[in-house]
Parts: sequence; structure tokens; C-alpha cells
Amino acid sequence: MAPGDSNEARLTELLCLSAATLLADLGVQPEWRTGVRQPPPTGESVAAFSGFANNELRGSFALLGPRKLFARLHPLPQTMTLRDWADWARELVSQAVGRFCNRLLAYGVQLATSVPQGALAKEVRLASSLDPARSPILFTIEGLVLEGWLELDIAPSFRLEESPLHEARAALREGTIVFF
Amino acid sequence: MNNKAVLVVDDSFTVRQQVGLTLTSAGYQIVEACDGQEAVDALRAHAEVAMVLCDVTMPGMDGLEFLETIKGDAAGPPVPVVMLTTDGSPDLIARAKRAGAKGWIVKPFQPHLLLAAVRRIAGEPG
Repeated sequence: MAPGDSNEARLTELLCLSAATLLADLGVQPEWRTGVRQPPPTGESVAAFSGFANNELRGSFALLGPRKLFARLHPLPQTMTLRDWADWARELVSQAVGRFCNRLLAYGVQLATSVPQGALAKEVRLASSLDPARSPILFTIEGLVLEGWLELDIAPSFRLEESPLHEARAALREGTIVFF
Repeated sequence: MNNKAVLVVDDSFTVRQQVGLTLTSAGYQIVEACDGQEAVDALRAHAEVAMVLCDVTMPGMDGLEFLETIKGDAAGPPVPVVMLTTDGSPDLIARAKRAGAKGWIVKPFQPHLLLAAVRRIAGEPG
């Protein structure tokens, strides 16, 4: 495995762990796997993505899944209206990317994030613009599938440390409250 | 119960709704804004606002720019501001602290802990 491949594989794993722990915090226990594609989803879907970047690493993370799944994950499902679907998907992908960036701080990698975008769609299928052969990360939640697409554009100079070395720079964990 | 108003600043309707339901259940009034500029305008228009809960990453004026704008040349913001964000970066937290923020909450939040934090900042018994 080339160093660049190792970086990508480890960044992907960190992203998967970040998204999986977020989903667990929302009350579900996802199983996740890579290397396979799903048939295009039928019916109404929700998609959202958010970007991140520094001088050596840039990319984005997209989530695509059926409306029913986003409703399952919503903190106030009984209140959802049509305009809530894309809004909630944006917030969800924002929290996943935020968690990923928080994890990377402990490795000395600081990323700026973008404002997330979201959309409702029918029979939409995502694909990687950087690598057509890439497959998504599939989170299976109570029989429903949430596709995650991680795009990474890694500079040759980028190297992810083998383990978190910068504990002093580590981010606050999710759910933490501090007062000044 | 009380009649204090909290300004909730977040580009996500879902988050504003979640925070709003948590705080209105304890008697707080809610004023909402979608970004930093709307929040600046809301502070001018709503003298009853006693505290602000503010996201960081938002379109237009972001949360830290909002905080620095309302602080201006004063020693601190005119009302207590607590940042509520997915970001846990020490650099951003230090910037918020320098600009006079009173706290930092990393999403997602537990409603009862958010309410306890708001009560603490408002100087009310938990």
C-alpha cells in the first residue's frame, strides 16, 4: 500500500467512526461497510454534503438516504414537515464532518469546514468525481441504508500521524459544555 | 417559570426548533435568527433578549464574527453569549473566549444539560 493510500484508508476509517458514533448518539446502532454499491434508491431521498479543507487536504462528505431514515434519526420526528427533511440532512452531515474534523485535531490536522448543503430528490444516485470506481460507505440502520460518500484530495506532502500525538490540541468531545 | 428571552442563532431550523422546545418548556421566550447579521438585528429589535445561544458555521456572518461585532470596542458583549456548535477546536474556543463568550457547547446536546447551562448563565437555580 502506498503512503497516499494509507492516508486515505485511515482518513476514511476516522470518518466512518465519526459518523457511526454520531448515529449512535442519535439512538441507533448502525453497521457500516465499504466496497459495495446499492441499487439506486427508489422513492424520495434526501441528500446533503459538507466540505472541508486545509492547504494539504480537501474533500467533502455526502449523505444520501430515504426520507424515512432521516425521520428515524430526527430528534423531534413528530414535528417534521416537508421543509425539515433537507434542513435536518444538512445538520446531520455538518455534525458528522464536525466530528471528523474534531478527531483530526488530535493528529495535528486542522480543517476549515463549509456551510452544508442539502436537497430532496427522487431516484438520485451519487458517485465519486475523483475516482469513478470508488464505492460508498454504507450504514445499515434498522434495515434502511444510508450512503456516505467521502471525497478526498490529498497533497503528496500530507501525512497522517500513526496515532493521535497532539492531545493538548485535541478538540472538545461532543456533548461537552464549558463555561468561561 | 420566567419571562427571559433567549436569542437562538442557527442556520438549521431543526436545531432552532430543538433548542426552542427545550427552553420554552422551562418558560423562556425564544427569538430566532438564521445567521450572524440577523442576530445583530434581532438584538437591536428585542430588548428583552437576556442571552444568546449561537452556532459558529453559518452562511453570511458566522457566529464568531457576530460575537466580535456585538462586542465592538466594549469589554464584552451586551448580553451573555454561549456558542453551540459541532466544532470543538481549541483555537476557535480561544477566539470566542477572547471575544467575551460565556461558554461553548459541542453538538449534539442533551436537552436537560442545555437547560442547566442556560439557567446557570442566567443566574437561576438549576
